[in-house]
Formats: sequence, C-alpha cells, structure tokens
Amino acid sequence: MSLDSFSDLLAVAAETGRPLDEIFLAAEVAERGVPAPRVLETFLERWGIMKDSVRRGLAGGKSFSGLVGGDARKVMEFSRDGDIAGGRLVAKCIAYSIAVLEENSRMGIIVAAPTAGAAGMVPGTLLALSEERGIPDEKTARGLIVAGGFGAIVAGKAELSGAAGGCQAEQGVGAAMAAGALTFLLGGTPSMSVHAAALTLQNTLGLACDPVAGLVEVPCVVRNGFTAMLAVTGAQCALAGVESVIPMDEVVEAMVKIGEAMPRSLKETADGGLAMTPTGCRIRNQLYSIR
Amino acid sequence: MISLLDIVGPVMVGPSSSHTAGACRLSRVARELLEEEPVEARFELHSAFAKTMRGHGTDRALVAGTLGMEVDDPRIKDALEIAKQQGLAYVLKPKNMGPDAHPNSVAIHLRGESCAISILGASTGGGMIEIREVDGFPVSLSAKDPCLLLFYEDRPGMVMRASEIIGRRGINIASMEVLRRGKGDQAFMRIDLDAPLPHEDVAALKGMPGVARVHVLDRVAGGAPIT
Repeated sequence: MSLDSFSDLLAVAAETGRPLDEIFLAAEVAERGVPAPRVLETFLERWGIMKDSVRRGLAGGKSFSGLVGGDARKVMEFSRDGDIAGGRLVAKCIAYSIAVLEENSRMGIIVAAPTAGAAGMVPGTLLALSEERGIPDEKTARGLIVAGGFGAIVAGKAELSGAAGGCQAEQGVGAAMAAGALTFLLGGTPSMSVHAAALTLQNTLGLACDPVAGLVEVPCVVRNGFTAMLAVTGAQCALAGVESVIPMDEVVEAMVKIGEAMPRSLKETADGGLAMTPTGCRIRNQLYSIR
Repeated sequence: MISLLDIVGPVMVGPSSSHTAGACRLSRVARELLEEEPVEARFELHSAFAKTMRGHGTDRALVAGTLGMEVDDPRIKDALEIAKQQGLAYVLKPKNMGPDAHPNSVAIHLRGESCAISILGASTGGGMIEIREVDGFPVSLSAKDPCLLLFYEDRPGMVMRASEIIGRRGINIASMEVLRRGKGDQAFMRIDLDAPLPHEDVAALKGMPGVARVHVLDRVAGGAPIT
C-alpha cells in the first residue's frame, strides 16, 4: 500500500475502513521496521516535550534581540469569556502557538513541526483542544501521528523550508497538519481531515518568508498564532461539511509552483518584504551595528 | 514515505530547523568523516545560509556540530566560546555558489592533526540534510541510515570483496554508488546499510588491499528510532 499522495491515503482509508492514525502508524512500522509500541512511545515523548515548550514559552522573557517575548502571556491574561476570541479554547490556540515560538527564539528546546519557525501551531492547537475537552495524552499523541503523516506526504513532494518555498511551505504546511489533526481528534472522517488541510493550506499560498534582521522572530512568532487560527477555521469548516474544491494534492502542487516563482528576496534571505521596510532595516542595523 | 518522526521532529534547540538544526547536522557529518578531533574548521555559506547566518545561529550551530554536539544540545548557544576553550579555530565566510546551488548550501573543510576532509551539503528543510560532495566526489547522502564511504584505488574485484565482508555478517545493502576519477585512479564507494556494521568488519574493509580509507556514518541526521 502506497501513501505517496492524499488520494492514496483516502483510497486506503476507504478500502480498509481504518482511521488515519492507524494507517500512518502501520506505514511507519512497515517502512522503518520499528515496532508500533516503540513508535507510539516516541510520539508520547515528543508530545511531552511539546507541552513543556508551551509552558516554558509562557513563563519566559525576551529573545536575545529583545524584539519578541511575553506576547503569549499577554494573550492568556487578557482571555476571558465574552472577549472577541469567544472563550478559552481559541485564546489558548493563539497563546500556546506563540509561546512555542517565543521559546524557540530564546534558543530553547522545541519540537520542529514541520520546521522550527512553524513549530507552534501543532502543539498549540492540540494542547488547547486536549485541555479544554479533557482529551488524554495517549489520544492526543495519535493526533500528532496524523499531523506527522500529513506533513510526510507533503514533504515527499515539496521541500519544507522558507529558503525553497517561502513561509507557505513552513507555516502553511504546519497549519494544514494541525487542521488535519484537529479534525481527526474531533471525530471527523478521513476525508474531512484532508479537506481541512486543503482549505487551510490554500489560504496560506504565496506567504512570503521575510524575517526582520534574518531572525525567526518578526513576523514568525505572532504569525504562528495567526496561522493556528487558520487551522481552527479549516477544522471547523471541514467538520461542518465544507469541502475544498481543489483537492489537497493539487493545492500542494500549486504551493510548489508558487514557491518556485517567488523571488529569492522573499525566501528566507531577509532581502525583501518586512525585512526591508525602514523599520526592519533600522532594527537590523542596530542589532548588527551596521552604519 | 518520509518518517513521521522527521516531520514531528527533530527535538532541537531553536531558532531554525534548516539554519540551526540542519547546519549542526551537516558539520556533525563532516566531523564523523574526519574521525579525529578537528583543530581547524572553515565554512563557506551560500545565499540564504549566509544572509541570515547570525540571526538563525547558523554560525554557532556549524561550530557546535564540529564539536560533536547534537541538535538538542543546550550548549549550542555557547558553541563559539566553547570552540575557543577547546582550541578549535574556525572561520565563516559567504560564498556565491551560483544560481543552481541550493540556497542553504555550505562547504565545510575540517582539518585534524593527521588528516582533512571537505564536504558540500545542503539543509533541505525541517532539519533534513543532503550531502552532495565528499572530497570532490559527487554523492547523494541524507545521513539518516547507516552508511559506509570507501576511498580506494580503482581495480577489479573491489565491489565484490566489500560486499562479501558485509554479506558474511548478514547485513543487507540498501543501495550503493561507485565512482572514480579515472581508470585506475582514486575511486569511491558509498554503501547504505539496513543495520550498522560491527567494528571488526569495518577493520576488515580498511585492511583490503588498495583501500585508502573507510568512513562510517550512522544516523547522524535522525531517521527512525533504533529498536
């Protein structure tokens, strides 16, 4: 059974009637020769490190540059019933996703998902959901397997780096992974999970990688909170029965082509976009003492 | 399919999976190939790698990998100071490798007391790497699985003798690549294995007539957990 595309995945799901986590787990076991309990144990370990990175992120101070840090805590402290986020679940999705990137900016320990600059959405949204809905770690770790499986299929067709594909290839894919996993954990069908990922990814297409002063800070840190909300929107729409007109495999192809068409200045070189605004240049010059 | 644990992972020190973790793994590969303590390291960085070097801690990560650190080692952030304490001299400079080179390319030149090695590699996203050249030989190496690199004199029977030593141990060869500079000149073999080869067999490979050196790489860049 091949899992090279999302259409392969849906075919296997339809044929076997097995849920996504079991399909991906079986594929990992078959290809790697590692027994299933060992894979599950490793995912549970990684989930523990992810939760830790949220906790450390919320407690931590500023990054080395001083540009970011403390925003996750602000969002958490502001959150109350009746605010614009409409309650704890949404506020936590935003705050936790930002927290991981704040920890990352301090050279703290994080789990890339799929990259470090996009490491916030998967743990941020999954932790928010598991806390608010009382989902046990063993089940959430299975959501993490689904997220990993979705990322692996995309990574077989596209390089997941800002340098090759812009931010769409990092945070777009991270958000799509989160959307698929959220939909799975909320009881959606395999097809709904794939639609959630497709809807989410297509709404990040063209996203530039233009980090100020070349740091993984501005706009990367708060952007993880914003793209986390795209994942939530994707899951909500898909669970409601909204379908992506363009199939996920074709959305991925579009992402690759857009990445190729994007100029180098918008692909992790800090030579364009926000990095080259007057303020972006001033920050760079101050940090590196350039006159 | 790519391992799920390479996507939800690596567990790493921030801030960038390609420019910090990937950089650290690339220089770890160079260190493993050198097989002795490096005393001097020279790094040439292309395009995106050079442009965001300081912001992404690429300089510290490249030096950290040269010192043998893993991607989740909290000492990565102090790697430049640790290099000074341990007597590792290093220099980093930008180099334009042309429009066809991967934007995250780096050439790493390491020198130890008795030998030296050069590799050209690229960080291909999410902490994954690809080695594209070893001492001038074009290769394609992800360093995820156990792998052997043999440098030897081009002569008949070398592939057979090497595969016999590996086969005797019951270890399967996943893939291999054989190259040479010219007929009878320096030759190169890359052998990917399904399991690591015991030391005595590596010694047997090294003892084969005509073999100059044998390097062992074992899962420097992640891959599935060991059962």
